[in-house]
Amino acid sequence: MTIGTWLNLYFFWEKKWFFIAMFVGAFMLHLPTPGDLSREGMIILTMSIVAVILFITEPVPLPTVALLIVIGQVVLMGHDSSEVAKSLMTDSVLFIMGSLMLAVAVVKQKLDKRLAWLIVRMTGTKTWRVCLGITVVSGVLASFIGEHTVAAMMLPVGITLITLTSDDPRKVRNLAAVLLFSISYGASVAGIGTPSGGARNAIMIGYWKEFFYDPTNPETLKFLVSYMDWMIHAYPMFLVQVPFVTAILFWTFRPEYRDLSRAVVKLRALIEEEGSMKAADWMSILIFFLVLVGWIAISGDIGMGTIAVAGAAMFLVAGLVKWEDINSGVNWGVILLYAAAISLGVQMKETGAAQWVAEHFLTFLSPVGASEGFGLWAAVSVLTTGVTNMMSNGAAVAVLGPIVLKMSVVAQESPIIIRYITAVSSSFAYLTVVGTPACTIVYASGYLKTTDFLKVGWKMAIASTIIMLVAAKLYWPLLGI
Amino acid sequence: MNEQDAQDRFRILVCLDGSDECYQSLKYAAKLGSGVDADIVLLYVRPTDQGLRSGGLQVRVARENMLKWGIELPGIQYLKKGRDMLKDLGVMSGEEWKEEVVHTDVDGDPLGDNKINYVNEQGKMVVLKLKVATDIATGILEQWELGEYDIIILGASSRWKGMARSFWDPAVAEKVAVHAPCSVLVARDLDIGHGHLICTDGSDESMEMVRRDAVLASRCECPVSLMSVALDVEDEPKAKENIAKAEKMLNELGIEVEETIIRTGNPVEEIIEAGPNYSLIVISESSKSGLQRFFMGSVAFKVMENAHNSVLVAR
Repeated sequence: MTIGTWLNLYFFWEKKWFFIAMFVGAFMLHLPTPGDLSREGMIILTMSIVAVILFITEPVPLPTVALLIVIGQVVLMGHDSSEVAKSLMTDSVLFIMGSLMLAVAVVKQKLDKRLAWLIVRMTGTKTWRVCLGITVVSGVLASFIGEHTVAAMMLPVGITLITLTSDDPRKVRNLAAVLLFSISYGASVAGIGTPSGGARNAIMIGYWKEFFYDPTNPETLKFLVSYMDWMIHAYPMFLVQVPFVTAILFWTFRPEYRDLSRAVVKLRALIEEEGSMKAADWMSILIFFLVLVGWIAISGDIGMGTIAVAGAAMFLVAGLVKWEDINSGVNWGVILLYAAAISLGVQMKETGAAQWVAEHFLTFLSPVGASEGFGLWAAVSVLTTGVTNMMSNGAAVAVLGPIVLKMSVVAQESPIIIRYITAVSSSFAYLTVVGTPACTIVYASGYLKTTDFLKVGWKMAIASTIIMLVAAKLYWPLLGI
Repeated sequence: MNEQDAQDRFRILVCLDGSDECYQSLKYAAKLGSGVDADIVLLYVRPTDQGLRSGGLQVRVARENMLKWGIELPGIQYLKKGRDMLKDLGVMSGEEWKEEVVHTDVDGDPLGDNKINYVNEQGKMVVLKLKVATDIATGILEQWELGEYDIIILGASSRWKGMARSFWDPAVAEKVAVHAPCSVLVARDLDIGHGHLICTDGSDESMEMVRRDAVLASRCECPVSLMSVALDVEDEPKAKENIAKAEKMLNELGIEVEETIIRTGNPVEEIIEAGPNYSLIVISESSKSGLQRFFMGSVAFKVMENAHNSVLVAR
């Protein structure tokens, strides 16, 4: 009997990246620790590198990485198991959990047809106006309730407009691309608008507090960001990007139909069958607004997570959504993943590993003049955009956050600007299907090819980066950063 | 239909992805499967909707919302187009076809597998199958396990062979060809009517393959040519002997050999060079295990990867 027959070697080949990552980890742990880094720092750095390899190559289901991080903290670093478990749950994680439950509840409310009606009433039938309308409505909604919610709600609207125009997908390829990208990019560019626009924003706020806020020092109070503060800094950037989204999409794809009157008329008829708004519809809109008001007015006192969870509870109490729907609609592994990534990030800070990487990264950047000022901003933005295109943007912020925040300290730059740049750049994942949740969801429609994302994504990434750097240079100083 | 019947029938699995390649290969499948004893299964594999990539909100939430709007799943239109092509090509002509819809639940996906069986009075079946699986290659291989097939046909279009991602995600055609227990036809610009180029190295497996392919070729009434490659000049008599052996066997089966080719040099290069004059290159696969094939890369797999036209890996 040969080895091949009793050992399933193909298993090793398919999981090669897992073994490569483990080998890299074991190798790093046996290297001598650099003089200016603690042993614990070395371990946590090794764990981060192994985690990043696994995040990007995905040889094992992603929640497995979260489990490995927990095990590593207990076994390799000798931390107390209960302490590690505690470090998993923070307000940011509670927010991610609550907002996902809210997302399912909102999608289940059938408000999408009302939204579609609103859009076509506002825009008329010209293709570019319909696309701009979709981008604006998707964006405004996504800025508050997250891009995945909006993508799931608006996708049927987009597809219905496509199928009502032509049954043959080949005849409406470009039209499909502009309509569907209007949804996903509209939602993606808006995710930066408010702290509740995406998990990454909540993670960044959490890090900020963890890194810079000292309850005994009133000076550090400025590092506690309020919902409104964030909106003032970031919302205008989303609004400026909207016309660019439509322009870039039309420049890239040139839709086959310049006018959608046939489809719009049929869509109106379809929507009118729904009849007038019912009590349940009004109720869900009311809860939705209560959550928004809560985030804006009292999230500083009781935490964004609490409000998100309260919103989900209200939907359940009002009987507008079933627990079974929430249970099957939320991927709980993602919450575990964020929790572990944040706990790893906090350890990066506490062991000094983040500081060490930041210092060395800056020495590496200084010959090209990117170790301070505008150059550093651009370098941080490019780094974040690169990483976020390879893995989910929440995970990218969780891993990069501690390093870039420490970089701002070492380079004596304002951590506030660097923080915004990282959070905002992490939404520039236009290049791949996996980059942002909205892209993944519209891809499930089957109308887009992976190459379409590359074709238009690089233009979007450049436009967004320029807009952000201009805002950092000209707009944010006006706000006194 | 009971299991015994299923084993006696000639079963063809055609994987569709909406590309031109796959519909071209469907024409070939129609020719192979025109007899009453042949069944054709059209398969579209849809990746499982899962939420890790979509920020924690399961894609199924979006999918259910789309269904509420009455939007079809991706793939249904490709399968319907395939069925219409089979009708046009005369495979589904004539007597009444009974239609039967079957649904199977699949863990982790709200919609599961769906298929439509079309059966005529003589028991000939055409099946449209919309399958959900973690990835395309796995879906195709799982379909084989559900009912054994004699041949799997798939197009070598970009969706099957992601060149840039090949190291991350072994190409679909390659993965199917490595793991499938039956013959696999990877179609590239498949143009029927130019005949089969059967390559043989004289081994027992290769002779068995020659016999099997001759059966296929007679199904589609395609002319058959034989080829053998000698590694060097000394090896030439052996190559000639191989060809003679194969030709004799085919003649005994009543199949006429149109042309015989003997070349000297690197088998992979010689076969690829001779290939474009024929509809497809037929090559046998030696008895190596999955991983050995993967690392050592037999002649068959090198030809499959690099040929300019269609390749049938016979088993």
